[in-house]
Amino acid sequence: MPSFFKKKRLILVLVSFILLVALIGFSLRERSELTWPEKFVHDSVGWIQTIFNQPVQFIQGTYENIQDISKTYEQNEILKSRLSQYKSIMQENQMLKKENEELRSSLDYQDSLTDYDPIDASVIARSSERWFSQMIVNRGEAHGVKRNMAVITGEGMIGKIQSTDKFHSTVRLLSGFGLSNRISAWIWQEDQPIHGLIQGYDEETESLLLKEIDYDAEIKEGEKVVSSGKGGVFPAGLLIGEVTKVEMDQYGLTQTAYVEPAADLYDINQVMIVDRSMPTYDIEQQDEEEEE
Amino acid sequence: MIQRFYLPLILIFLLVFQGLAMSLLPANLAYSDLLITPHWVLVILILITVFFDNDDTYYSLLYAILFGLLIDMVYTSILGVYMFTYGIVIYLLHGFKKMLHGNFIVAVLLAVLGLVLTELLLYTIYSFVQVTQMTWEVFLTKRMLPTGIANLLFFLLAYPIIKGKLEKWAANLLSN
Repeated sequence: MPSFFKKKRLILVLVSFILLVALIGFSLRERSELTWPEKFVHDSVGWIQTIFNQPVQFIQGTYENIQDISKTYEQNEILKSRLSQYKSIMQENQMLKKENEELRSSLDYQDSLTDYDPIDASVIARSSERWFSQMIVNRGEAHGVKRNMAVITGEGMIGKIQSTDKFHSTVRLLSGFGLSNRISAWIWQEDQPIHGLIQGYDEETESLLLKEIDYDAEIKEGEKVVSSGKGGVFPAGLLIGEVTKVEMDQYGLTQTAYVEPAADLYDINQVMIVDRSMPTYDIEQQDEEEEE
Repeated sequence: MIQRFYLPLILIFLLVFQGLAMSLLPANLAYSDLLITPHWVLVILILITVFFDNDDTYYSLLYAILFGLLIDMVYTSILGVYMFTYGIVIYLLHGFKKMLHGNFIVAVLLAVLGLVLTELLLYTIYSFVQVTQMTWEVFLTKRMLPTGIANLLFFLLAYPIIKGKLEKWAANLLSN
């Protein structure tokens, strides 16, 4: 009798191990969409989190408001002095915009890579597993969110949409970018932007790795890095960060720049999901059409 | 009758709050260099193993597998890791508990053992699929030790609140 139980236990452990490997294998595949049970669970948990989030956010908001009120006078003085500057900049901006539009229409070039429609969303939870840099926001397929869209805050880019559910979606933060999550980016210089690819995140220096830069490009610290809009669904011109360090790669063929993200990746409440106005050229879809 | 839903409700509540805590706590507390990961669901599961389950009931194991899978779905993008880890750990603790008497010291010892085992298993699996590239030394000092201590604190907090209730519910379940 005891040997029977031992055998049963062994089989149990083996079966659960096989199940583990199968599940990991299943989820590591490049999946374009989640299965419906996952979506269901995400949405249900999302709703519960929204319910609990509301009162806490309210208290947090009130506290911040009270803090703000105490500083109002000082801020007001500073803002007043800046306002006059902004007026002239605004005028200039409008003039440039108009000119740009005119030039565009004369070139028959309607949509621009920089145009986008933002979808406002609030963060309702973050992953409790620190090895996964992801968070849940309260906008999903029903609001027009699609996979791989860029996610930004007022300060700059923070990540992209990893998966969508009906009413919620999961955002992969820049700090969780691996080799398979590439962003085509420019280092902004006055005469000519330098092209590179963001591949991966260095945890030690807490900065993104901008690779494949020409070996003879001259890059200085502090230069801004923005998305180039080439490839994928990101619009052009989203601020990603600042160059902090430049290195030659081991063969001396390309350079690697360390880019410190402009946005705070930890203290995030409100985000914008960026829907590029220009249609996206979807390779997967095209393949399917060709097969048909 | 309604008591049978208390445990899953508590566990769902904690599952939801694990994620909320990470976004609502001040960033410099939740995101220091120390990778403190809340394992509140596991802590309650350990308490259920010690004070709710007897030798022949496996509620804790059932909940471990179920809520492990839920954590996988909601907070990570890889399924099965938490499910497997929580399942194995609770199964082992359930076995150990048969040999020991359910009191405070035993519960603390089992909690420490459970947390350490969980962290080791998670680290092994996640480094195998390259979710983390931490070295052993960094893992021990920056992840396992702080996580263990933080969750043990939660255990000490939850123990007096939930122990009596668990024993009461277990007794009710037997008498029915």
